[in-house]
Amino acid sequence: MSYKCPVCIKVSKSAMDLARHMMGRGDKVHRDWIVSKGFKYSELLTLQIKSFGGEGYKALAEVLEKETKTKD
Amino acid sequence: MSKYSVIGQRVHRVDGPEKVTGSAKYTFDMVLPNMLYGKVLRSPHPHAKILKIDTRKVEKLIGVKAVVTGKDTPGHKQGIWRRFPELCDEEILCRKKVRYIGDAVAAVAAIDEDTAEEALDLIDVEYEPLPAVFDPLEAIKEEAPQIHEGVDLNINITRHIEWGDVDEAFKKCDHIREDQFKCCSQAHVCMETHDAVASFDYGGKLTMWTSTQSSYYIQRLLADMLDLREGDIRVIKPPTGGGFGSKFELDSAQFCAAVLSMKLCKPVKIVLSREEEFTATKRRTPMYYFVKLGAKKDGTMLAKEVRVITEGGAYTAMGATALYLTGFFSSFPYKYPNYRYDGYRAYTNTAPTSAMRGFGAPQSTFVGESQIDMLADDLGIDPIEIRRKNGMTPNYEVPGQAYIQSCGLHQCLDAIEKHVKERGKLPPNRGIGVSAYGFMSGGIFNWFDTPYAFSAAIVRINIDGKVDLFTGACDIGQGSDTTLSMICAEELGVRLEDVRIHAADTGICPADLGAWGSRETLMNGNAVKMAAADAKRQILEFAAAKLGPNIVYDLDIRDRWIHLVDRPERGVSYYDIVKEAIRGRDGEVIMGRGHYTPHRKGMISPAYSFGVQAAEVEVDPETGRYKLINVTTAHESGTVINPVGIEGQLEGAIMMAGGYGFCEDQPMDEGKILNPSIADYKLIRSLDMPETEILEIDTYEPEGPFGAKEAGEGLTNPTAGAIGNAVYKAAGVRINDLPITPEKVFRALREKEKKGKKSK
Amino acid sequence: MKKELKFTVNGQPYEIYIKPKTLLSEALRDHLGLTGTKRGCNSSSCGACTVVLNGMAVKSCSILALQANGGEVMTVEGLARGTELHPLQKAFLDHGSFQCGFCTSGMLMSSKALLDENPKPTKEQIKEGIDGNICRCTGYNSIIRALTGVVKGEYKEEK
Repeated sequence: MSYKCPVCIKVSKSAMDLARHMMGRGDKVHRDWIVSKGFKYSELLTLQIKSFGGEGYKALAEVLEKETKTKD
Repeated sequence: MSKYSVIGQRVHRVDGPEKVTGSAKYTFDMVLPNMLYGKVLRSPHPHAKILKIDTRKVEKLIGVKAVVTGKDTPGHKQGIWRRFPELCDEEILCRKKVRYIGDAVAAVAAIDEDTAEEALDLIDVEYEPLPAVFDPLEAIKEEAPQIHEGVDLNINITRHIEWGDVDEAFKKCDHIREDQFKCCSQAHVCMETHDAVASFDYGGKLTMWTSTQSSYYIQRLLADMLDLREGDIRVIKPPTGGGFGSKFELDSAQFCAAVLSMKLCKPVKIVLSREEEFTATKRRTPMYYFVKLGAKKDGTMLAKEVRVITEGGAYTAMGATALYLTGFFSSFPYKYPNYRYDGYRAYTNTAPTSAMRGFGAPQSTFVGESQIDMLADDLGIDPIEIRRKNGMTPNYEVPGQAYIQSCGLHQCLDAIEKHVKERGKLPPNRGIGVSAYGFMSGGIFNWFDTPYAFSAAIVRINIDGKVDLFTGACDIGQGSDTTLSMICAEELGVRLEDVRIHAADTGICPADLGAWGSRETLMNGNAVKMAAADAKRQILEFAAAKLGPNIVYDLDIRDRWIHLVDRPERGVSYYDIVKEAIRGRDGEVIMGRGHYTPHRKGMISPAYSFGVQAAEVEVDPETGRYKLINVTTAHESGTVINPVGIEGQLEGAIMMAGGYGFCEDQPMDEGKILNPSIADYKLIRSLDMPETEILEIDTYEPEGPFGAKEAGEGLTNPTAGAIGNAVYKAAGVRINDLPITPEKVFRALREKEKKGKKSK
Repeated sequence: MKKELKFTVNGQPYEIYIKPKTLLSEALRDHLGLTGTKRGCNSSSCGACTVVLNGMAVKSCSILALQANGGEVMTVEGLARGTELHPLQKAFLDHGSFQCGFCTSGMLMSSKALLDENPKPTKEQIKEGIDGNICRCTGYNSIIRALTGVVKGEYKEEK
C-alpha cells in the first residue's frame, strides 16, 4: 500500500508519513490542499509543534487515508 | 624537546603591544580629511506603512550635507542566503514599510555628530501604523498581520532532520519524558558598536573601513545592494572590538555610510550608539522547545523527538542557519538511534534574530542537557554515567548527517567525574551540575557564490627573510592573527616574530568567508599551512641545489636553520639561503599559495570538538539568589596551537554562556526592548565571575592543521545547562525558561514548599 | 561660546578652547588626539572610557572636560615611559588579559588607580577595583591573574 501526495510527486508508505510530508513542506500548494479539506493550517501546525507522536497529523492523516491510498 | 618550536608556546598576541598602549586604531577612532558624520533615523513603530518622508527642513539646516532615504538606493533586498532569493528580504533603508522598532528609514551626513543628531529630528515621516505581532505562535495564525508580502502565516523557514523511526522506538522505551523549554534572546554587547567609514571616490570606487567578522561578505553584499562591481569595492577590517556573530551581515551603519558617501563623494562615518546596538542590530534567536526523550531503564536512549519554533524577528538574516543548527546540535553529543527534528521560524515584528556565538547550539544544549539530567533523575542513574552510556565516540556517523573523526568526549567525562569527586562533600545549598557538548569547526556550507566554504592564503618571503602572510581571516579578538602567524611560522620553520600578517583587506588578501562557525583555525589554518609549505618547498629546492646533499636526505627548516633531517647539525642559515635564492631569481620574491575547502569532508563540518563542563552554584533558599562559585571545563580541541588564546576563549565563553543562563535577557513590550542600555542589560562583571579551571584533554584531529580544531564557539554551549542542573542539585527546583533569574528560583522554591505542605 | 580648558594630560600641559558641554572623553579623543580612551556606551556603565583624574579612576564620559580644569589626567597613553611598558602592560601581555582590546585602556587605568591607592590588594579587592569595567571577551580571570602578578612584584618598574 502506498500513499501518493495529491500535489507533488512524493509517495509515502503511510498516511501519517504523507501528512508529515505535506505539513513539513509548508509551501502554498500543499497548504492550499490542506485548507481545501476544511482544516485551519495554523491550528494543525501549532498542534504539531506543541505535541508529540503526530497529534497534529492525525486528523489530516485520516483524510489522506481515504483520499490518497493507492495499490502498488 | 617539544615536537613543535612555535605552536603550543605561550606567546604574546601579535597585536598585543598596540592594544595595551591604546595605539590600535579601530574604525571607532578613524578620522579622514573632509570626513562627515552620519546618523540613522529609525522607526518608532513595530509595523507600519511609510506614507511620506519629508526632508525639506533638514536640507536647510546648516552643516547638513546630505540626507538619503530608500529612494536613493537601487531598492534591492539583502540576505546572506544569496542563492535563495526569497530569503533576501531586507532593504535596510526601508521604502514602503517598516517591520520592527528600529528599522531604518533615512540617514543624514553632517559636519559633526551633534548636527547630524539634530537633523534627524527635522525629518518628517508619516506612518500608517499596522497591527503587529510579537510572539511566533501568534504570528502563524491566519488572523495575524502579514509581515512580508507573499509569505503566508509568516512562516519564514522550516527545517527537518530525521533518521530511524521515532514512533516505533518510543513504543520500546521503558521511560519517556516530554518537556517544554523557552530559550531567551541575548545581545552580543560587543564593546565596539557597529561602525563604518565609507569613502566613495570620483573614480567610482568605494573603500570601507568597518568593524566586521567578514570583509568578504560585506564586500559582496555592498556590491549587491549598491549595483557596484565587487572589484570596485574594497573592505578593510581595522582592529575590531568584538563580533560574536553580530558583524558578518551588512548592517545599517555600513549601508547608510556607503549610500551617503556615494551621494557626496566624501568619506562618511557612522557609529551606532549603544542604544541602537541593542535595538537595531541582530540578536540571539529566542526559541520555544518541545522535546520528547525515550530510554530503556538502564539509561540507553532510544529516541528523541524535537519541535522548535523560533522568533524570527522582522527579517531572515542568518536565522535559517540557526534553525538548522539548533536541530542538528539537539542530537549532540549522544548516539540516538532514532531522531526527529521539526523546526519552524516565524517572522515577528521584533528586532531580527540571527547569529550569536553558538548559533542555535547554546539553546539546544541547554534543553538537551537539562532533559538528560531529568531523565537520569527519573531512572536513578548518575548524570555522568548516563552521558557515558550514550556519548559519541571517535569515527561515529550521525546517520545521514555528519561524520565525527576525533572525539574526546569520554576522556572529558572521566576528567569531570574526577573533578566532582575531588570537590568532595559540598556545603549546604550548593550543587554541581554537569553539561556536555559537541560543536563544529566551521560549516562546509557557504551561502553564496560557491556552495562550499573555502579559505585561501598567500605567504611571501622577502629578501631579509621576513615573511608576509596574507589571509582573509578576521581577528575580532579571538586571536586568529596570532594563531595563523604561529601556524605559518611553525610550518615554514621560522620564529613568530619573523611573520607579519596582513588580514581581512579585500583589496590585497585572498578571499575568506570570515570569522563565524568557529572556522578560522581549522580552515584558514590549513590554507596557511599549505601556503607556508609551498614557500618552504621552493626554499628547500634552492637549498638542495646549493648544498648538494645525497638525494636520500631530506631537508627541513626549524628555528631559522635549514638542515638535513637526519643530521640536524649539518645545515645553513635560513636568512642566507633566502637572500641567495631571491638574488638568484632576479629579485623575484618567493611566494607560496594555499587554500582549503571542506568540500567532501563530512556533511556539515570537517571536524567537531567536544567537552564537558561542571558548574557549582550556591543558592540562597530565602531569596532565590545564587552565586556562580566554580566552573570547570574538560575539553578537547585537538592540538592546542595558541594556549593563551584558548584559555582566553574558554573563560570568555563562560562569561557569555554563563550570562545566558544567569542574567542576560531582552524583555520586550509590544516589540520595544525595555533594557537597551548597559546600565539595564545585566551582564556578568568581575565580581560575579566564578573561579574557572580548564582541563585540557589531548586529542588529535586529522583534518586540522597540526591536528587542531575549534574551541571558541563550542565552549559557549554548555554553561546554561550546567547552571540549570546545578541549581536543581542545590535547591531542588528545575527552571526550564532562560535566563534562570533569582525571581524564577524564588517562585519555584515557594511553589515547592506549598506542594510539600499540601502533601503533608 | 567656547571656554578655555587648562589641564595636564600624561605629564604635559594643555590649553584648549572647547564648548562647555564637551565631555572629558571627547576633549581627550577629539581635541588632543588621544584615542586610546574609548567609549562603549551612553549610560556611564561600561568603563571603557576610564581615565585617572587627580589620582582617581573616573569614567571620562560622565564628566565635563571643564571639570578637569587645573587638574591632572592620565590616560593609557601615559602608562609607558618612552618605549618601556608599564608593569601592568607587561602583565597583560603575558597573561593574555585582553582579546579585542576595546575595553583594555579603561581596564588598565582602573587597575592603575587601584594599585596606586592600594599596592597590595586582595583578590576580592582586585575584583572590586575592576567591577566598573565590562569585558566581553576575556571573562576577567586573566585580568585578575595579571594584576595578582603585578601585586606579587613579578613585574618590576624600571627606574
